[in-house]
Amino acid sequence: MPVVAAAVCPHPPLLVPEVASGAAPELDDLRTACLAAVDALSTASTIVVIGSAAPAVPYGLVRFPAAAGGSFAAYGAPGVRIGSGDPVLPLSLAIGGWLLEQSKATGLPRTYVAVPTSATPDECLGLGREIAAGNDRVGLLVMGDGSARRSEHSPVHLHPRAEIFDTTVASALQHRDLDVLAALDPDLATELQAAGRAPWQVLAGALESATLTPDLTYNVAPYGVGYLVAAFT
Amino acid sequence: MRTTAPVTVGGVTGERDGVLRLGNRSFAVGEFALMAIVNRTPDSFFDRGATYATDAAYEAIDQAVADGADLVDIGGVKAGYGEPVSEDEELRRTVEFVAGIRARHPSLVISVDTYRSGVARRVAEAGADLLNDTWAGADPELVYAAAEAGIGLVCSHVGGLSPRTDPHRMAYDDVVADVIRTTTALADRAVAAGVRPDGILIDPTHDFGKNTLQSLELTRRLDELAATGWPVLVAVSNKDFIGETLELPPGQRGNGTLAALSVSAWLGARVFRVHDVPAARQALDFIAVLRGSAQPAGTRRSLA
Repeated sequence: MPVVAAAVCPHPPLLVPEVASGAAPELDDLRTACLAAVDALSTASTIVVIGSAAPAVPYGLVRFPAAAGGSFAAYGAPGVRIGSGDPVLPLSLAIGGWLLEQSKATGLPRTYVAVPTSATPDECLGLGREIAAGNDRVGLLVMGDGSARRSEHSPVHLHPRAEIFDTTVASALQHRDLDVLAALDPDLATELQAAGRAPWQVLAGALESATLTPDLTYNVAPYGVGYLVAAFT
Repeated sequence: MRTTAPVTVGGVTGERDGVLRLGNRSFAVGEFALMAIVNRTPDSFFDRGATYATDAAYEAIDQAVADGADLVDIGGVKAGYGEPVSEDEELRRTVEFVAGIRARHPSLVISVDTYRSGVARRVAEAGADLLNDTWAGADPELVYAAAEAGIGLVCSHVGGLSPRTDPHRMAYDDVVADVIRTTTALADRAVAAGVRPDGILIDPTHDFGKNTLQSLELTRRLDELAATGWPVLVAVSNKDFIGETLELPPGQRGNGTLAALSVSAWLGARVFRVHDVPAARQALDFIAVLRGSAQPAGTRRSLA
């Protein structure tokens, strides 16, 4: 069976209310959009979470089991954690797990896959095809941020190509344009600090064999980082 | 972790008294030194260029000294992202100014906030006593400028950021441990490069490469930095972690600044980089008495 549902969510630490403290309500809309997209994965029989990780990981893809630990202590919120054992999940997957635990898909079997930010488009597409080629009814949770250089007050200063890059991705998600996702330039994405490039390309590979209806439900950069939420059902 | 600063210079073990010596001033353990910020930039986050012009900058220095500043920190380049400032332009903004301050205030400790070794050498010649290397050794030559001139050095922590960039999701297993490891390694490197050990400070550098929760953690655990034995400089004045904590814009962070500064002083910080000198001087004078390192100005109440 191919991928039966997919969700795309961003992974800023401040999605977790304990990290954002008083600023948490500012992202209520984003949290709601993410949870709605993740809830739609509950029609699957197993969940695969895809997220980027620093390229320091020398051995390419890293798979983590459902119980893998994730923590937000490194961002200042030691009280929030998921799974058990040492916090091994990179931020993107920890946020993915945190979303799943609050969603209707929380009870499903789960695997995490960390994709290095240095992964080539072909490697990403290949991973997506591999995930879709299994026998499971897969619900795919794709964690990815747009550019962190969207505005004068961005974490990383404004880049003139940041907005058009994010707009291109948003449009590709909205119209399920897999060729556009597959063609995203890794070097440009790195320059624009867009962490979602590799995971989005995994999505493109996974959706080739699936006839799902796309819905872009959130596309805002409230702090100068592009946040995109999409559901494929 | 060391308990006393290393003071072996050229094979000769020097004084283990923990005294910080900058210019012709000495600051003993328990004594608080106040560093006034005077920017020669048109775009500072706090004063938006109020002291960019030379006359205004000299007046600001005179006022800071009158208000109780022991040091002034001169910056020719805005810390955060902004218009590029060439080395020539930074030199224009700082060198003559340092020489002018030196002539007007012979015993004022002059610190220059720069990450460029070329600027460091020139301001040292002009009379600077301390290099405030806020970008944590981004220019590896800067430490030799301090060594050659026999002046002090501030060793900072920016979490691996490049100069004039801002943090994006900085993550630390233990931010205090990371700060201690980084700043003491820079301090050790400075000693090895020939910088006077009694002129070296470490600065946790709140906000730089840190989110607000991490800067709060640093403030809460400042005693751990003080326990390294290196004199600790704190620069909390009007920073974003105070603004985010209290939901206040830069112009309204003065009270929060005094709170952060007071806790830092109580936990062992020794040098305080501030915008509002009189307010900080009062707070520090008060804490010095609380800590028992100074006496009240006069005690008459219920004693007559």
